[in-house]
Amino acid sequence: MSSGAIMRRKTIGFLGRSFLFAVTSVAAVAVFAIILFIARDALPFFRDRTSLEFFVSKSWYPSHTPPQFGAAAIFFGSFLVTAAAVILAVPSGVMAAICLSDILPFKARQLVKPVIEILAAIPSVVYGFFALTVVAPFLQNAGEWLPGNIEIASGVNALNASVILAIMALPTIVSVSEDALQAAGRELREGSYALGATRSETLLKVVIPAAFSGIFSAVLLGIMRAMGETMVVWMASGNAAQIPKPWYNLLQPVRTLTATIAGDMGEADQMSGSAHYHVLFVMGLCLLLFSFGCNIAGEWVVARQRKKLRGE
Amino acid sequence: MRRSFRTFTDRAFTACALLAMAVMASFLFIVLVPILWRGLGAYVFQGTVEHRRMLMGEFNRGSEESLAAELKEVRQARAPVYQALEAFEKELAEMPASRRKELRPVFQSVRDGVASLLGSMPGEPLPALPRRIYGKTRWDQARHGARLILFEEVWEHDDDGSHRRLEPRKALFAGTALEPLFDLLEEKNLRRLMRPRLTLYARFLTDVSVDAHFFGGIGPEVMGTFYLALGAMLIAVPLGLIAAIYFQEYAKGGPTMAFLRSCVNTLAGVPSIVFGLFGLAFFINTIKVSPGKSVLAGALTLSLLVLPTVIRAAEEAIAAVPQSYKEGALALGAGKWHTIMTVILPAALPGILTGIVISMGRAAGETAPIIFTAAVSVGKMVKASELFVMPTPALSWNLYNLCTEHEAVDEIRHVQAGMAATLVLIVLALNLAAILLRARVAKRLKGG
Repeated sequence: MSSGAIMRRKTIGFLGRSFLFAVTSVAAVAVFAIILFIARDALPFFRDRTSLEFFVSKSWYPSHTPPQFGAAAIFFGSFLVTAAAVILAVPSGVMAAICLSDILPFKARQLVKPVIEILAAIPSVVYGFFALTVVAPFLQNAGEWLPGNIEIASGVNALNASVILAIMALPTIVSVSEDALQAAGRELREGSYALGATRSETLLKVVIPAAFSGIFSAVLLGIMRAMGETMVVWMASGNAAQIPKPWYNLLQPVRTLTATIAGDMGEADQMSGSAHYHVLFVMGLCLLLFSFGCNIAGEWVVARQRKKLRGE
Repeated sequence: MRRSFRTFTDRAFTACALLAMAVMASFLFIVLVPILWRGLGAYVFQGTVEHRRMLMGEFNRGSEESLAAELKEVRQARAPVYQALEAFEKELAEMPASRRKELRPVFQSVRDGVASLLGSMPGEPLPALPRRIYGKTRWDQARHGARLILFEEVWEHDDDGSHRRLEPRKALFAGTALEPLFDLLEEKNLRRLMRPRLTLYARFLTDVSVDAHFFGGIGPEVMGTFYLALGAMLIAVPLGLIAAIYFQEYAKGGPTMAFLRSCVNTLAGVPSIVFGLFGLAFFINTIKVSPGKSVLAGALTLSLLVLPTVIRAAEEAIAAVPQSYKEGALALGAGKWHTIMTVILPAALPGILTGIVISMGRAAGETAPIIFTAAVSVGKMVKASELFVMPTPALSWNLYNLCTEHEAVDEIRHVQAGMAATLVLIVLALNLAAILLRARVAKRLKGG
């Protein structure tokens, strides 16, 4: 081969590689563009008002004159439904993952996996429809036969949204924790069994601590899914910008960040931008930062665990 | 610790785990069964003669002769109803003022009820709205409509809360010309007025909606969902595939790659509504891909959302190709790029397809990203030539819209259910295809 041909080949190879690299960085560019453009439309909100009102005040009256943008109750609503969903989903999800990785025989596992996949694939708006037409009427009537004869004013409330969010977060939690449990390895389990431990002791004292970082990531992913979910909370949570009394009362309607963004954008001036428009981007920015925070926390825990396992 | 106690805790633990698994699996049925069952009602139901009249009037479908014959019989059966109404109206004019005052509003609601049950009154000008031209097209709705005429809802409030009581109206009109009407609306007679018949309305899937979903089907929504999902995949698949090839075959590790990878993870974690905000702020307001919402803007937004899924699936499929394939090709003197195109990609294709199909299901079901970028509540079927400029209705968004913002949410329950079931079935079909594809791949890899 002549030196010219080799040169040409090298140039083509370099160009091709650069092209591949450029396309690969689209994801990175997208992440930065998302941060940039959400922030660009969010920051004007703080130009002529203090950020304190937004985070502390509970009065959300965006269409009054002058408008009031106190989002504390909305932040609390997001926090409440997410926390309730995670409390419901994590124990059952981790137990189901244990069942899948250590208890069920291989054949049964092959049958259950598609169930998890389908549960994860059902669109969120369909879950919302389910919440609205099946769960809400059920909850409304449930007050009568529950002990204490609790009066449930409306079936669309924080509890409804939390239950559905828990169902939606389950597949993520189960499949990620199952991967983590599997990755803990056979030797660990066999060592524990050889010392005479039962299965529950092996799992609780050996496998779960070893798989802790993976299970932690699973929980974080579940939290992210619940926090970022829009349609279900929009349809099932009742959309009242209030802090329930008492604060843990799940039977009252709440309003979340995601539902506020989705519901209010129609009223806000989308083209030229009003304070109402910008405040929704501030909420989007908060959600974005929250998901970044979860991602970083997850990576940090995984890295720490890896270090520990290497014995450093 | 005592051994029996340890055995007991071990068993209890196993039982808990099995229970958790069973609960999760049962959720699938708890969610899917009611949705699919109710949705079936949009396609297969007891259709009344009004349904056939609507199909002929709006879609020019059905046999004209048999419909004419049926309408003739129905008209005969309905004549006494209209006679009773007419006779009572005359009677009402001659009544003493106090009784007239008592009966007139009730009569008016009976009359309105009959109009909505049987359709426009004979001898009156044809109303503009199709919902006033045709009566109840479904037998369950017709029975409900008749009940609303036969009984007055009375709410009683006491210490225990509010109770609903149904008061028969027949007693109120005893001895008047209107009395026979109530017997005509009893279920046995109502059948002759409405002629319910088991109907398969398969074209619910493709028909346009008539009068804001009071009648007709969900064709525009299905098409909108199809275009959006397809568009998203057309953009995301090439990008994702190339990224996966680069990650698996070219990247040498190091901080740049770690950074790119963590960007993909970050993108996967961005809440879907934030994608919607970004689509609005960037695609529509900044680079102005279209004058307003459009299918293009929606597809672009969705493609970013599914990009991480596509990349991961393609990477997994490429990683699963046995190293020996690659080494064999390289040993035969093929270049790297040549090896990738002719050996690795074909071997990884079923796995890649699985990922694509699952991502497409995800794109079809997403709502939040298209609210601000592509979806409209009422819209005509979007034409292929308008994809770059026009918004479209879509199954996911319109399901939300019909459930919460429609003017008569309770009267179109069957359309909502039909939409939900259709969306679920589309997504399930895509996932099932993926599961089957994967099973085939597993078999092939096992068989060498």
